[in-house]
Amino acid sequence: MALFKDALKQAVRALAFKTSVDKLKKQGIEQVSVLGMDRIVGLIEESVHRSLKSRLVGLDREAVAEATKAEFLRLLRSNEDLRREKSEIEQLKEQAEDEIDQLRRELAKEQRALDLRMQSNSVDDAAELFGAQELLAQRVREVFVLLQQSGEVVPAALEQRVLELVAETVGAERRSGDAARQALRDREVENLQRRIQKLTQSLTVTEDRLRHVAAMKNIEDGIASIYRDVQGLDGSDGQRERKKELMAGIFAANLRLQKGSPS
Amino acid sequence: MTSDNTMDTAKKDHGVLYIGMDLGTSRTSVSASNGIRETVYSMVGYPKDVVSKKLLKRDVLFGKEALEKRLSLRLYKPLEKGVLKCTGEGLSDEAKLNMKAAQDLIGEAVRLAKPRKDELIYCVIGAPAEASMKNKEAIIEAAREHVDSVMLCSEPFSVAYGLDWLEDVLVVDIGAGTTDLCRMHGTMPEESDQVMFDTAGDAVDAELERLIKQACPGAQVTIHMVKEIKERHGYVGEPAERIMVDLPVDGRPTAFDLTDQIRKACGVLIDPILKGITKLIASEDPEFQTKLKNRVLLAGGGSMVKGLDTAVERAMRERLGSGRVIRIEEPIYGGANGALKLAHDMPADYWEKLK
Repeated sequence: MALFKDALKQAVRALAFKTSVDKLKKQGIEQVSVLGMDRIVGLIEESVHRSLKSRLVGLDREAVAEATKAEFLRLLRSNEDLRREKSEIEQLKEQAEDEIDQLRRELAKEQRALDLRMQSNSVDDAAELFGAQELLAQRVREVFVLLQQSGEVVPAALEQRVLELVAETVGAERRSGDAARQALRDREVENLQRRIQKLTQSLTVTEDRLRHVAAMKNIEDGIASIYRDVQGLDGSDGQRERKKELMAGIFAANLRLQKGSPS
Repeated sequence: MTSDNTMDTAKKDHGVLYIGMDLGTSRTSVSASNGIRETVYSMVGYPKDVVSKKLLKRDVLFGKEALEKRLSLRLYKPLEKGVLKCTGEGLSDEAKLNMKAAQDLIGEAVRLAKPRKDELIYCVIGAPAEASMKNKEAIIEAAREHVDSVMLCSEPFSVAYGLDWLEDVLVVDIGAGTTDLCRMHGTMPEESDQVMFDTAGDAVDAELERLIKQACPGAQVTIHMVKEIKERHGYVGEPAERIMVDLPVDGRPTAFDLTDQIRKACGVLIDPILKGITKLIASEDPEFQTKLKNRVLLAGGGSMVKGLDTAVERAMRERLGSGRVIRIEEPIYGGANGALKLAHDMPADYWEKLK
């Protein structure tokens, strides 16, 4: 009995909604009547007993009361099962959302790294090339100035020719060096792109999982039928016999249709 | 039931959900023993491509939603003239797709009944009175995917059963694809007790579309718009007021008076119904003919045409000397309610044997 009362209290609490005095005031409610939980539970019990008393006698009443209590507790238990399932699904959802967040962050990081790499390559290359050429030309010019200062006769065309030769030789060396560096950079970019692709795939998969979990969460628990067992014709039905024949006729036709059997 | 169905894995020890289903050409309605009553247009849509699937975020859409998003969908109406479009010899690809659409539609109807996964689902489906054996088998096959046990019964019979009118009653069930008439005399109706013809809701739509195109030059209408106009304004007899409907002409909504066109289009139902009633009454035992004439039940979506009961009654008086026509209270759910009652009354061992 104590178990039943506790369960009844829990059910009433679960069905009740919480509100604040301020909210009630906003709705124009100045005074409220307070009814204790024990009193509510007592009233429910009393009303059930009175109702049973007026309709049933003796053992029947006790049996029905016990069956009703058992059914009530069963319903509560099944409700708890459903709630537990729901919270598990919610956990799954949160987990998937976390994963998605992390994947998105990683993806954005990789994307930024790739962009930076691509950008810096082109800027550095241009700047480096320009600077190196200037430096070489400067050095060659300095050598010729020293030669002229030491009294050597140096034709103007020679300086130009030497500059061209040095630029050509250094350019060829630079080009082969650049090709090697480019191949290395291409590999890095390729790796970054591959990582981004993999992260994108993981993100899609996790998003799909999240959608699936969200859909599971939206599945309603359903509304319970009012029947626990198969019913059949009501014994007090005025057309019981006629309906029995009709049922038999429909069943026979369906049996033939579904199982190919004549009876 | 399929192995991937979640119902398989659930332990079903928490009750029995009875579902009565009226699988119609235009609408599919369900009534269930948990108090749910729902109806959905019998349309199923699948995304046309990956882009639309991503946009719609679903693999399949039903009813009004499918109709509204039909431009992104492959839209199927799996029923035609009251029967599944997939029962020919050696199923073509199109027939297979219609079968899949029918299965999905029945699944959606079951889902609309909000069953708990731990309940047994026993379902009675109303099928057209004269549906072929192959068609009935196709409906059963489609339903088995979603329920634990299923039975079919004649649609007009289920309407009468739902109202407890089991003898001396003539049911006229006006659907979209077919009109079914069934004479009840306390036993299972036989072939001679039933009449079916295809002048029904769709025929009214087609006639109304023709009349609108004739009377409203330049007006752009689709069959779906025509159906909506009929469902909103359909009537026979004297109009309560002029019916003005806005139709687009060169993109601009223009008001048209469709009073006469609607009356004329809805009027196509009367004559075939009268012929069917006459046939069933004339072939009945003469001693019971008057009783039968005085208990004619109008059911189905088509019976919502205003004034139809009065018009049929008047026509019966003129041609048969007398007649009394009663429109059932819930035309959309009459069949489903009756099927639900049948499901409830069916003994447990019958359900078990059909599992």
